[in-house]
Amino acid sequence: MKRIFDTGNAAITEAAIIAGCEVYAGYPITPSTEIAENMSRRLPQVGGYYIQAEDELAGLYMCLGASLGGKKVMTSTSGPGYVLFSDPYGWGISCEIPVVIIDAQRVGPVSGITGAPGQGEFYLSRYPTHGGNFETIVLAPASVQEAFQLTIEAFYLAERFRTPVTILADQLVTDGWESFCIPETQEERNEMGIKVMDRKVNYGPVFYPATDEIDIPPVVLGHNTGAACSDWTPTEDGYDTEDSAAHMKHSYRLVYKIRNHRDIIDRHEEHFIGDDPDLILVAYGSPARVVISAVKKARELGLKVGCIRLISIWPFQDKLFSRKTKYLSVELNFEGQLVREVQRATSNGSEVHFFGKCGELPSVNELIGVIKNILNDEPIVTQQWKSEAW
Amino acid sequence: MDNLANKYLRAQKIPSTACSGCGLGQVHKKVVMAIDELNLGIEDVVWGTGIGCAGRQTFNTWKGDNFAGTHGRVYALAAGLRVALAPEKKIILTVGDGDAFGIGLLHLLHCARRNVDMTVIVADNFGYQSTGGQFGYTTPIGYKTDSSPYGMNEANWTQNGIDILKILKDAGATFLARHTSFEGQSAVESIKKGIENKGFSLIHALYPCVTNFGGRALGSRKPEDSYKWFKEITLKKDEEVKEGKIGFHTGVYYDGSDTRVEFATNIREFTDRIEGGAKHD
Repeated sequence: MKRIFDTGNAAITEAAIIAGCEVYAGYPITPSTEIAENMSRRLPQVGGYYIQAEDELAGLYMCLGASLGGKKVMTSTSGPGYVLFSDPYGWGISCEIPVVIIDAQRVGPVSGITGAPGQGEFYLSRYPTHGGNFETIVLAPASVQEAFQLTIEAFYLAERFRTPVTILADQLVTDGWESFCIPETQEERNEMGIKVMDRKVNYGPVFYPATDEIDIPPVVLGHNTGAACSDWTPTEDGYDTEDSAAHMKHSYRLVYKIRNHRDIIDRHEEHFIGDDPDLILVAYGSPARVVISAVKKARELGLKVGCIRLISIWPFQDKLFSRKTKYLSVELNFEGQLVREVQRATSNGSEVHFFGKCGELPSVNELIGVIKNILNDEPIVTQQWKSEAW
Repeated sequence: MDNLANKYLRAQKIPSTACSGCGLGQVHKKVVMAIDELNLGIEDVVWGTGIGCAGRQTFNTWKGDNFAGTHGRVYALAAGLRVALAPEKKIILTVGDGDAFGIGLLHLLHCARRNVDMTVIVADNFGYQSTGGQFGYTTPIGYKTDSSPYGMNEANWTQNGIDILKILKDAGATFLARHTSFEGQSAVESIKKGIENKGFSLIHALYPCVTNFGGRALGSRKPEDSYKWFKEITLKKDEEVKEGKIGFHTGVYYDGSDTRVEFATNIREFTDRIEGGAKHD
């Protein structure tokens, strides 16, 4: 193993290289710019191509075009660029094109604060485009090492499911410096559980089957397969159609190829859950690290609390919230996004609370205070924020 | 279907669902004629389309590989595809004026700047006709459409000294031509040169929409009236554009074939150099 001290952006870059990324196209934006910079240095060294696009729309479309030509691809951005992905995201989802998309969440809305962490794209990563009739795969790293591993996973899942896979990171993960390990031998890769899938070519004549099966090769142009892929609703052989029965089949595939293979997508981590805690904290990404520390401290204080850290975000893991108890969603936004899903997923009678900050992490002490408030049935009151509606 | 269509096009898509009297089929046919005269096979061309009449009508008509982008984005998609495709494969795009000169112009200009090897056929029906006939960026000034009921009152890309082909030339395009769908072999020859150019080629192909542009802007849905109007706007070699009028000289606008390095060739060579250096180190 090679031990490196660097940023999440650097880890994501090295992960992409190991996963076999051949083309990166993107547009510089804080706090993911270093991925573009690192890719411009690393890709040509391994025979790949770096393209600096004229905007994020073009960046993701160039990736999709290169993937359509048979290359494994990645792009990266942050909030203001992530919204511009909306159009190509939909194209990639409907045409079933493998692509890895990194979103380093910062403070919004709009340009907001560039160099501080936020978690405002929780729902946007589930609904990155219009029109509905699809499911998404979204993974959220909480550390530099995890950013490395999930990026490799994202490439693997993108090929198997032939769909865009999103890494929903945040500024602390992408800009943050930590030591992380890179495998140097096949043995070390196996040890780390790294799986790499090469691109296969779909030779037709069925390009868009009405099934939930995975591991069907994607459409690759240039092999004279007679493939057709477009923004229109496709028939199984790729013709554009206005037929709603055909659209139902297409939608079934886009939704259920993901929903029916949760076993290879779902990921989470639990701490102190075994003894039916009075309060379960829920978080993903950077804030989850403070949450874990706060739960450990609370246990030392004799408080019966536990936590769930979500690693895969979408599809949402409803089954994790089947216990009837109190929940507290800790997020890097002020209005509460993850909390809505937790509230939806919990069994009847569970209380769901929210504590949010943005641009900075909560402290352990702050969270201990909130935990005590909830356990004592007191309102959560934070400085300069009068009351918590949740 | 004629022999040419049998050879290259999908029976399911021919004839198209275009309106009677539409000139798009003539543009489409000239592209296929050019491909045939260059002795290219189905496997040699990957065909892309955009949104609008030109995009939807020509999508997946090609017997080989096809793709269609969302409105205005097929140029970026094709640029990405270009680096992945074998260099000898031809990318041909048939798109409309709104797609290329409106919503997609940013990407189109960057493809010209990068000199991405593709041949873009802009089938121009003078506005947004598939949505019922709104003005676009080549609609003549003063002409009435459903969104310019008092006459188109902003500048366009093809009048009063502005020419989109000049903009594209300045941006770095290496082959540019303009024709109407009424022209024959001269248009085919230009498309052939465009396809042969290892770089960014664009053929601006003007064609009549009798249903919407004819009906509203020209005041007649008779194909012969559209034909007469096209005769008026197609200028003779030494004929000048009349003040306040629209008029086009057709033929090759600029032939800089193979004068600039092509995008994918450049990126491949660049990577080879760096990769070679990395191995050497």
